[in-house]
Amino acid sequence: MLYESMSFLYYLNPEKYKLRKWREDNHRNSEQIVDVGEELINEHASKLGDDIWIIYEQVMIAALDCSRDDLAWTCLQELKKQFPGSQRVKRLAGMRLEALEKYEDASKQYDSILQDDPTNTAARKRKISILKAQGKSAEAIRELNEYLEQFVGDQEAWHELSELYINEHDYGKAAFCLEELMMTNPHNHLYCEQYAEVKYTQGGLENLELSRKYFAQALKLNNGNMRALFGLYMSASHIAASPKVNATVKKANVKYAAWATNQINRAYQLAGRGTKENKCSVKAVEEMLESMQITMS
Amino acid sequence: MRMSVKLTTQAYCKMLLHAAKYPHCAVNGLLVAEKQKEKKKDSHSTPILCVDCIPLFHGTLALAPMLEVALTLIDTWCKENKYVIAGYYQANERTKDFRPNQVAEKVGARIAENFSEAAMIMVDSTRFTMGCYEPILAIYDHHENKWKCRDCNADCFEDWCEAQKITSALLEGRSYESLIDFDNHLDDLRNDWTNPEINKSVLHLC
Repeated sequence: MLYESMSFLYYLNPEKYKLRKWREDNHRNSEQIVDVGEELINEHASKLGDDIWIIYEQVMIAALDCSRDDLAWTCLQELKKQFPGSQRVKRLAGMRLEALEKYEDASKQYDSILQDDPTNTAARKRKISILKAQGKSAEAIRELNEYLEQFVGDQEAWHELSELYINEHDYGKAAFCLEELMMTNPHNHLYCEQYAEVKYTQGGLENLELSRKYFAQALKLNNGNMRALFGLYMSASHIAASPKVNATVKKANVKYAAWATNQINRAYQLAGRGTKENKCSVKAVEEMLESMQITMS
Repeated sequence: MRMSVKLTTQAYCKMLLHAAKYPHCAVNGLLVAEKQKEKKKDSHSTPILCVDCIPLFHGTLALAPMLEVALTLIDTWCKENKYVIAGYYQANERTKDFRPNQVAEKVGARIAENFSEAAMIMVDSTRFTMGCYEPILAIYDHHENKWKCRDCNADCFEDWCEAQKITSALLEGRSYESLIDFDNHLDDLRNDWTNPEINKSVLHLC
């Protein structure tokens, strides 16, 4: 009975379910959200029930992304009316000020939230975003480190910090952040693969070997991860070509690289079926791998 | 005064579409030119025409492995099509930040090793509009291990009027939603980073 009514509702309002999917996946497809959401709010508000409030929030943030201050303002007013004095709505008002580049006013808004509730993580993170927007990377990094001392389980924050470090070319510290993420999410192939990329970028034989191991681990967790596959090929090839390795290590890495080459070729063959343009890609990859074997040997 | 790089409509278009697709991220990519058959005596007075643009990455640009893969793969593709990698473009994450950073200088220098007249192009997002009324690029040439900024005006384009008209039309039509960069290709190998559909759209509008 419930299933029937839900699928009935879907056909009645597929847009609402689209919005929900985008919310759940944390998609930043703001233009589409504004397109779908604006129509939903204007034409079908009565049919949305209690979902309308979360939709107002979602559409408001997307509207800020698209410089649609008119739409953002409308959503904000509706939310203010329904939830007077809400910290969550206050934060949205702060985000609007950020979008208008009124950073001091936004900061004051977040400070007032924190006065009432010092554990409000959203407000603290917004303050760090302001530093980032103003190009104050060193301060943003410092504040984010302080935040993580208190909220050590906040994965989104660890990931943000790793990106800030990468942009500052501080690969060692970026690696540390990714290590935290891998420890708490051992099955996440993306963290493994990103860690491997950071190690590879750091350079040096030891880091290359680590990177190869983590590319391999990412592949084990998800054998469709092309970045991991390419990374395995690159790192193994570089190790094999290094004058510092002995014959055994060289031989092993040549094997890894050869295995990766086969897998890459297979993946491209599978993808290339049917389109003329992709056949060109397949050929280019084959030649690239061949030429790299020559330069690496 | 050495004239180095000129852009075709297709090259300029795809650069801006890439930046428009990811307004909240840094983006970068390569520019390719047709390989000159022989070195002419006065070759440095003929501008190099960048005929196409290959969008590379969005988001974190400062990691090495995928960049190496992309450069090698695209180099192979260039050889097959008698192109040469002639330039690098980048749009930074922050709108107001349009100066070349370490990534831009490193990749630019790497390209300049293989192509002495390589150009590094930074996109100035503060002047990015749907109407595309003015060129929004800053072009840097490699001189004695330093990058020097050159004025970018209509002369830097094969046909500025055409570039302006077509880029604006494609932005209005949201063509950037279907633009494929190398990151998209790594996510799904069927995604074609040569962007044949967008190339067709550009030709149609010419």
